[in-house]
Amino acid sequence: MSGTPLHHLTVAEAGRRIAAGALSPVALVDAFLARIDAVDPRIHSYITVTADRARAAARTAESELAAGRRRGPLHGIPFAVKDNYHVAGVPTTAASRLMLDHVPDVTATAVARLEQAGAILLGKLNTWELGTGSGMVTDDLPFPIARNPWDTDRLTGGSSTGPGAGVAAGTAMFALGSDTGGSIRLPAAACGVAGLKPTYGRVSRAGCLPNCWSLDHNGPLTWTAEDAALVLRVIAGEDPADPASADAAVPDYGAHLPVGVAGLVLGVVRDFGADGAALDPRQALAFEAMAAVLRDQGATLREVRLPAGLTAYRHASRVINWGESFSIHERDFLERRHLMGESLREKMMCGFLLRAADFIAAQRQRRHLAEATDAVMQSCDALLLPGAFHVAPRLDEPDTIPAYTLDNACSVFNLTGHPAISVCTGFVDELPLSAQVAGRWFDEAMVLRVAHAYERATPWRDRRPEP
Amino acid sequence: MTGSLDAFARRYGLADLTPAEQALLSRMADRVLAQAATIPRMASKSDEPAPLFRLPSPSRAARP
Repeated sequence: MSGTPLHHLTVAEAGRRIAAGALSPVALVDAFLARIDAVDPRIHSYITVTADRARAAARTAESELAAGRRRGPLHGIPFAVKDNYHVAGVPTTAASRLMLDHVPDVTATAVARLEQAGAILLGKLNTWELGTGSGMVTDDLPFPIARNPWDTDRLTGGSSTGPGAGVAAGTAMFALGSDTGGSIRLPAAACGVAGLKPTYGRVSRAGCLPNCWSLDHNGPLTWTAEDAALVLRVIAGEDPADPASADAAVPDYGAHLPVGVAGLVLGVVRDFGADGAALDPRQALAFEAMAAVLRDQGATLREVRLPAGLTAYRHASRVINWGESFSIHERDFLERRHLMGESLREKMMCGFLLRAADFIAAQRQRRHLAEATDAVMQSCDALLLPGAFHVAPRLDEPDTIPAYTLDNACSVFNLTGHPAISVCTGFVDELPLSAQVAGRWFDEAMVLRVAHAYERATPWRDRRPEP
Repeated sequence: MTGSLDAFARRYGLADLTPAEQALLSRMADRVLAQAATIPRMASKSDEPAPLFRLPSPSRAARP
């Protein structure tokens, strides 16, 4: 670890060094800004870099630490956010021509909590337009698309494209993304990082642009599950500014990590019926190896099935997304749709045409699926299942791109609200493989504990891309 | 685009569609119809939708 470049330190390690006085926040921020200068012209992880603001915050952190006023494990840690989180005085574009001139005067609750904890904002990260799309059509957006640091000719996954690319490449030590149907976990999978979608209501969405209110989840992308635990501890918790915010106690997630998985019952989802045919056999092999690693550490594996095929979850999610998203963007669609990219415009047309009865039917189906899925979740301590079904596709093969976004088991948990994390399960042809760990409502501690145990037992976190 | 779809679009604010947008709207209408047909209907009239509106807990509601 001593020879690790500063931009490849984990949050946990950097925090320990800062606490020990062995690492300067100013030096750390300068290292990240230098890394951004060096590699971002190739991966486009950022839309806006707030270098001066970051340097000023780093100097403040350094002074506070020197005076013995350490705020916690994130004090002096550089991070960045998807460009749909508001930061007062910093443009929020969401990669949309609708918002190129938008400078908010409010800061998202999650960002404010991080800054209160001493973390240092480096800037705003790339995304698909307002969190929408499949990645197939992005050349009509105002900024170059983010590129995968493992192979810059490949997709990052989306829509949190910049957070995935940035954390993998070391242009951000951690990032915040948003996930409506897999938009944290799919870029995490494609870029080989950890992406946590917490329980619905666990992390405030206040000050983050909505995509689909009832499916939107905010959460961290990090190099490790341990780092996700540190970040979640700060950003989680009730927020009166978010109507969906849950009044639930926030545990010390890091304290649960060393416990391991011995004695746990892990449900293993292998059978997706006809939907499972799309799963890349290399992902399936890595998934089996992951289950074996956890079994060898003392977990009991129990074969379980979801109560419905993946398509049932996807169909209900899509209809709900069309309806709510159109309600959010109706005026822009009617008055300024020429500024929208093709993907967003198509979704708006679907929402424009959707009948109320079909939207409500999807919400009724959602309750049924959520309750039935929770019954499965209650039968074990956590679930293991694939997330992304494919490895990151090539950008010059556009016909293969929609499958990356569509063939997955991620939207299940947007519909049900359960927490789920994507973790790296190895590599094939120098590209990351991945799987999900999901848990009971508000039991992120268990999800992170299982993910951490797996990461500690495997060598995948020792390998970094060099774009 | 069919006349009825054109009339619907105009009635609800899309009065200036280009021919390309008209064609897209027509394709999306087919897509929405097909997608909506995949959503099962609940057998009981008492099966409510997932909650979009819920009163705050008494502790939150009582806060100043």
